[in-house]
Amino acid sequence: MFRTVLAVAACKACRTLLRLLKRGGTALPGKVALKIDPGILEKVSAGMEIFVITGTNGKTTTSRMLEHALEEAGEDVLANKSGANLLSGVTAEFTANASLTGRAKKHTAVIECDEGALKQVVPRIRPRVITVTNLFRDQLDRYGEVMHTRDQIREGLRKAQDAVICLNADCSLTASLADEEGIADRPDGRIRFFGVDIPAGDRKEPELSDAVHCIKCGTRYAYRYHTYAHLGSFYCPQCGYSRPDTDTGVTGILEEGPDHTTVTMHTGAGTQTVTVALPALYNVYNALAAVTAFSASGRDPVVACRSLESVESGFGRMETFTLGGNRVQVILVKNPAGANQSVGFLSRLTEPFAAVLMLNDRTADGHDISWIWDVDYEGFMQNENMVRVFCAGDRAADLALRLKYAGGDEEKIEIISDPAQIADRIENGSLPAYVLPNYTSLLQIREIISKRAGHGAFWEG
Amino acid sequence: MHSLSICHLYPEVLNLYGDRGNIICMEKRLLWRGIDCSVTPVRIGDSADFTKFDLFFIGGGQDFEQEVLLQDLKGSRKQDLIAAIEDGRTFLCVCGGYQMLGHSYETAAGDICEFLGAIDLKTVAGTQRRIDNFAFRLEEGLGGQTVVGYENHSGKTYLGKGVSPLGTIVKGGGNNSEDGTEGVHYKNVFGTYSHGPVLPKNPFFCDILLETALKRKYGSFTLDELDDRIEMRAHDQVLDMLLKGRI
Repeated sequence: MFRTVLAVAACKACRTLLRLLKRGGTALPGKVALKIDPGILEKVSAGMEIFVITGTNGKTTTSRMLEHALEEAGEDVLANKSGANLLSGVTAEFTANASLTGRAKKHTAVIECDEGALKQVVPRIRPRVITVTNLFRDQLDRYGEVMHTRDQIREGLRKAQDAVICLNADCSLTASLADEEGIADRPDGRIRFFGVDIPAGDRKEPELSDAVHCIKCGTRYAYRYHTYAHLGSFYCPQCGYSRPDTDTGVTGILEEGPDHTTVTMHTGAGTQTVTVALPALYNVYNALAAVTAFSASGRDPVVACRSLESVESGFGRMETFTLGGNRVQVILVKNPAGANQSVGFLSRLTEPFAAVLMLNDRTADGHDISWIWDVDYEGFMQNENMVRVFCAGDRAADLALRLKYAGGDEEKIEIISDPAQIADRIENGSLPAYVLPNYTSLLQIREIISKRAGHGAFWEG
Repeated sequence: MHSLSICHLYPEVLNLYGDRGNIICMEKRLLWRGIDCSVTPVRIGDSADFTKFDLFFIGGGQDFEQEVLLQDLKGSRKQDLIAAIEDGRTFLCVCGGYQMLGHSYETAAGDICEFLGAIDLKTVAGTQRRIDNFAFRLEEGLGGQTVVGYENHSGKTYLGKGVSPLGTIVKGGGNNSEDGTEGVHYKNVFGTYSHGPVLPKNPFFCDILLETALKRKYGSFTLDELDDRIEMRAHDQVLDMLLKGRI
């Protein structure tokens, strides 16, 4: 007991101190707590109803959507909003929100969890629902190949025998987790699928796919339709393995706007018209993931569907600021699948704009930046409305090089090494700007932009 | 008009780590010089006449998918590839594609996986994965410039007696982290562990490949100079970080 009190006190003190020092330290307080009491996370999360979101892309936005839905249902929700999604960060979030004796103060939690950390986090917090958004190649030098990431998630799911598992039906790498030993043997209704039941998105066969061959027998998949990247209605012509039927699915796309998408969605509670207040198909997938998790906990999916109309984006996910009268949108881009969606969005813009691409190669980003060559910047460079593109970050020259080989007007490319200068250029310019940073460069640029635009620090949510 | 015909072998499975950047790089650097270029993907199961191609690119892939591929490499495909190599056609082979040229791959359990056997080299599973930026110096006959790239492999490759490496390690592991060699240079085959992708940041290396292929096709050939300031800025930045030990 004494250890618990000490761990909680140390965690809270450490977190307060870091914030006083204006450091957004999110992992250290958790490390301190775990050091003092290795069983701290079990205690401070005991009795809570916990939702875990993992997968390569969309974790943060799906978590925000789910948190928002729960709040709309009148619940007080604990969430790791700052994106600290390893064991230490998750521990810090729970511990700092517990009473001094280590009791949870809230009933519900939405936790975004790193794929690799899932197997450590899950046995400690015993989630009610785990959602896997998708699997794409991501930071390969940190995780190794995408199959390795999948193995990590599988281990995590095996350690959650009581949880309801929600899987993306359109992603063969994710959906097939349902058939794995230690996962498949769950009672009926304990595995749920979500997906887009109709052709949507760019509908193209991707040039690069992370899942070409049947995971069961190795034959090349065929598709009834594609949505984006390797997502779609896949089936194996050899062994018959195919996209599972969805429990929550999009059956029609009614309207695609620059700031929203309106769809028809079937849930366990019939079919409804749903407006997702964020643009692009990948946010429709995030919405599906959130609604499925919500309904998997026994709540009424209609409440979650309705809440999507008023959802706001998370940290650096289509966040909007105003600098010198110019609208600035920040879109985190950290791997080819996400980048292709965001860059594709800019390729289709019909108003003149400036773009800022930022690339760091620090530990949290991954040292390997080769993935920028897997991104289709060609349409972006050829969009006449793209007036100027600034390349910044540790590997700015690599970005500029990639853009040069994407064609278009080389004169539009400019390398800026100091992030503060980027804010100056946006502020003194006359164009709306789209800023596409990767992880650590997002932390840098967001701090500069939000300070100038008068927003709070990120841990203030 | 001069032209080169490029074969991209197994693009659907050997496409890790931005390696398609090598194709983009070759295409653009030919185009900018007014040389025509076509790229033909040859996938598993496709029939293809390898005598039609001047230059081949083979990338690296995931272990899971390499198994599927080895089936395709047996039989006539194997003979066609060896013939193309012996015929002096130009090859760029990266990581898995490079290992594939050798005799075999020995797994940690001691199982031997038979490969093409086109070049006298073999690969053995290592216990540690080499993952990071690295640099090597091209052998003198290729100009001796320093190539920067990114290596990500656990296999250790050993060259047979008298087989030339592509270069000598400046920083990083290379072939096996033991003998200081990186890659292989056999006839007009260039094998390397370098992802990155390797060509865009090392335009001189890209031009060596293009010129080799053009010379074989047209007898003598000299490429026009290009403005490589952005390329070399990215190159120098990585080399600088490596030499200073930042990464």
